[in-house]
Amino acid sequence: MTSPKAPPTLEEFRARAAHTGLPLTPEDIEHLHKGYLGLLEMMARMPTGWAWAAEPPHIFRADE
Amino acid sequence: MTDLTTLGIAEAGRRMARGELTSAALTEAFLARIAAVDGKISSYITVTADIARNAARQADMEMKGGVRRGPLHGIPVALKDIYETAGVRTTGHSHLKVDYVPAIDAETVRRLKDGGAVILGKLGTHEFANGAMTPDQPFPAVRNPWNTQYQPGGSSSGSGAAVAAALCMGAMGSDTGGSIRNPAGFCGTAGIKPTYGLVSRCGVYPLSFSLDTAGPLSWTVEDCALMLDVLAGHDPHDPASASTAKVDYGAATLRPIKGLRIALARHWYEGGKGAKDASVATEMKTSIDDAVRVLRELGATVEEVRFPDLWDYHVCGRVIITAEAHAIHRQEVIETPEKFGYTTRRRFQLGAFLTAEEYVSALRFRRQLALDTRAAMRGYDLVMTANQWGAPETFQEPQPIFHFLDKPSLTMPFNVTGEPAMTVCCGIGSDGFPQAFQLAGRAFDEASVFAAGAAYERVTPWRSRRPKL
Repeated sequence: MTSPKAPPTLEEFRARAAHTGLPLTPEDIEHLHKGYLGLLEMMARMPTGWAWAAEPPHIFRADE
Repeated sequence: MTDLTTLGIAEAGRRMARGELTSAALTEAFLARIAAVDGKISSYITVTADIARNAARQADMEMKGGVRRGPLHGIPVALKDIYETAGVRTTGHSHLKVDYVPAIDAETVRRLKDGGAVILGKLGTHEFANGAMTPDQPFPAVRNPWNTQYQPGGSSSGSGAAVAAALCMGAMGSDTGGSIRNPAGFCGTAGIKPTYGLVSRCGVYPLSFSLDTAGPLSWTVEDCALMLDVLAGHDPHDPASASTAKVDYGAATLRPIKGLRIALARHWYEGGKGAKDASVATEMKTSIDDAVRVLRELGATVEEVRFPDLWDYHVCGRVIITAEAHAIHRQEVIETPEKFGYTTRRRFQLGAFLTAEEYVSALRFRRQLALDTRAAMRGYDLVMTANQWGAPETFQEPQPIFHFLDKPSLTMPFNVTGEPAMTVCCGIGSDGFPQAFQLAGRAFDEASVFAAGAAYERVTPWRSRRPKL
């Protein structure tokens, strides 16, 4: 990924949630905020420096 | 008299071929056992008794006339309730599909029926193969037959529980991040996630297109091989389906394994000292060490090999599942969020917060991990590692919404690489629960996986003990 992202506060996350098009309850948003922070922390493991042309498989085929 | 419900598929087939057993008698034995004990574990959502009896009669008539359709002819099996079945409701264990009756069978169901299998019914699952089993869903949670206070693992929960409890001879499951191998491990059955593309997913509810696989669970490795003999093959209606040569998996279970080279990924299940390094229970380590010894005595070479970090596969797979599952279920979580269980809904909502870049990075990462895994496997036929961290979970409410944050999945590496991976039971712990290891192979080399798993089962006593209900 291009740069490490600062974890959003609950307020920032709530603002973002409003743009997802999902009907979310305050409880949903709190759970999703925790889940998102956890996922974000895990995603820090993913390499950041991909060649611009590094192409993922369009349909993954184990026999390719 | 032998209890017919604990016969293996191969043995039942042999008896039917000799005219010593009828499919009708076998089917009645299973229907009677389901009526007697399934109330304790709730593995079935729908029992299709009449359909099963008709199929059994048909099989008996054909076999009497000298027609043999293959290893599943007359064999009673069941389906995870995400497999579409013509005329029989396919609920996905969800309020959203509780009344949905498909018009046609999934391709795998068609193959099972063409092979003469008798479909006993539809089995409980984590909602849409993802959410936990919670009280706000339309069917009771499936329970572990070894101890009904515990969960059977998921998402193919009913499949693992029903096979272990002798309520069917084999069952279909699906595996996107471990959903065949988790219940197989916790319920003490065999189960294989085939190579991505080997078995059609057409007519199976999707969770994550680029990771979903369909496959069987059964009591023994040999029975899984016989089921895969019927299930494998190209399907033009599944865009990921591969064209590969036909392999006799049943025959592969009889191959000697002398000279087979197995890479042991011990560092995945015996973590270091870091806060995020997990380790399996001590008894599980001992059981796997014993299994390594047995495989060596059978002539295989087992050596420790370093693979990419387990967390790398875990995060890669989780990002892909989260994004793709959201895309699949987005409309439903917008229009009818109240119809999902409270864990399922949030797991499907989370993908709305991922960026396109994050999803594509995960796909790029997947290719890198697949290449690195293949490089680490150079010179080896199989990979061996633990199947689960320890005992299954209890039914405490509320359940974790995002269950994947605490520990990496031991099963995810082979979803990410697409390679076949099988669960093999290797003991019963002092807590009364089964222990298990995984054997994984190169893409489309299920034959070597079956050879090693079956050889191990033949010389160990673990297939002689069933849960008591």
